[in-house]
Amino acid sequence: MKSIVPDISQMPLPIDQWTQPFWDAAARHELVIPRCAACKAWHWPPAPFCPKCRSQEQEWLPAGPARLYSFSIVHRPGPTPEEPSQLIVPGLVEFPEAGGMRFVAAIVESEVDDITIGAALSVSWTPKDETNVPVFSLA
Amino acid sequence: MKKAAAAIVGSGATPYYFRGLSAPQTQYELIGKAILAACANAGIAVEQIDGIVSYAHGFEASNICEMLGIPELSYAATVTGQGGGSAGVLDLAASAIETDRAKMVVCIGCSQQLGAHRYGTSLASLATTPTGVFSLFAGLVGPGPSMALIAQRHMHKYGTRREAFAEVVMASRDYALNMPEAIRKKPLSLDEYFAAPMLADPLCRLDFCLETDAALAFIVTSAERARDMPQKPVYIEGAAHGGGADWGRSFFWLNMEDEMFASAGATRVARQVYERAGVTPKDIDVALIYDHFSPLVVLQLEDYGFCKRGEGGAFVEGGAIRPGGAIPVNPHGGHLSECYVIGMTHIREAVEQLRGVAHNQVPDARFALVTGGPAPVPMSAAILRN
Repeated sequence: MKSIVPDISQMPLPIDQWTQPFWDAAARHELVIPRCAACKAWHWPPAPFCPKCRSQEQEWLPAGPARLYSFSIVHRPGPTPEEPSQLIVPGLVEFPEAGGMRFVAAIVESEVDDITIGAALSVSWTPKDETNVPVFSLA
Repeated sequence: MKKAAAAIVGSGATPYYFRGLSAPQTQYELIGKAILAACANAGIAVEQIDGIVSYAHGFEASNICEMLGIPELSYAATVTGQGGGSAGVLDLAASAIETDRAKMVVCIGCSQQLGAHRYGTSLASLATTPTGVFSLFAGLVGPGPSMALIAQRHMHKYGTRREAFAEVVMASRDYALNMPEAIRKKPLSLDEYFAAPMLADPLCRLDFCLETDAALAFIVTSAERARDMPQKPVYIEGAAHGGGADWGRSFFWLNMEDEMFASAGATRVARQVYERAGVTPKDIDVALIYDHFSPLVVLQLEDYGFCKRGEGGAFVEGGAIRPGGAIPVNPHGGHLSECYVIGMTHIREAVEQLRGVAHNQVPDARFALVTGGPAPVPMSAAILRN
């Protein structure tokens, strides 16, 4: 059974000045992660200070290849009582080339029995407001 | 071992109710009843209370003063946080006593889930922030799936089995059989555990704690005053609430270093509480471990040094948490089977164990460990002694 794409159409998308660069890049289908411009430490989620050196200067760089660090399979009732339950897979996605930062995102349209820790993932995009929300599937 | 300055001299509670069934009583009414019961248990008049300590769950000292006619407060404090701070009320109360800021401090905890207000979905509102929204989009709508990420990683890293989580639940059910007010009083077999529906793999429905309503209150005073009071004093040997950036917002952050990720995040607060009490895990006779989700009991047993890192599963499966085991855990049935009041029933059970009046009494219990929930900093813990 395959995992579904969660319906995010009714969810709010609040943005502040620290997450704005992420969503600007996502609008162009680019997945980026912030790195401290002063000490080069990666951090996630976006925040006003580098927790290592307290600098506020950041650069946004490509996240690079993604692999699965951990996951859960959440069972939701089907749309009607007759239909089978739906499987939503929250995944913790790791970017080894971006300091090992981890990003929480849905693992979609993937055979759940094949989902394992360490699996290579590919990104795709779900349109949302003026930008796109990244989701991942087994590569 | 050092000399404790503060002691618990009174313990009171309302009846335990399944979620919603405490209506039409209000939350403050439940709190008032628990405080009056604790005062009666301590043999004091409610007017003697001059300190109020609570744990972040939306009630105010001012309302309590007004409601019960408490004439003067000289100390009022709340443990901050989102689930980790329950045992921290004892740290605040002891701080007030040690610094002579108050003479009789009441510690309060209350849970009441009416109508749409349920903890299981409460994280949805927290997630609607610019950084929290990622969790929302990923389907991490309650604490369960977030804990599942941690449990899954522990299983992957150390080979921990679902049988260990089952044992935590089964042991809690067996203990609860003896508890007069336990909500779930029915033995559980391993087959029944594995037949339960999966909610957030690897967590099945039985790995989630109860949703219940109740209020509890404890009276804390100086060790010196405690000696002249009716109950056998239960000394606060050490208490702590804290943590570090390496755990931080825990399941809201999820970027902890790998070993910390596959833990309950309690290593720092464990070190703090053992240092303050001047004891080691070997000295603890009974452990009241915050059990909102069964895997986190296994992980806390590692964090608090009852077994080595990664060996919690085998430790539990070997019977360690049962009566006569290496460290009996939650003899009251805990949050999984007795009642869930954000850690407060664990303090009550520790007090009863150390008074020697518990329903599942651990023979000659001298030291009890109480932990707060694996959750964002501050986490908390207390070591009590009789």
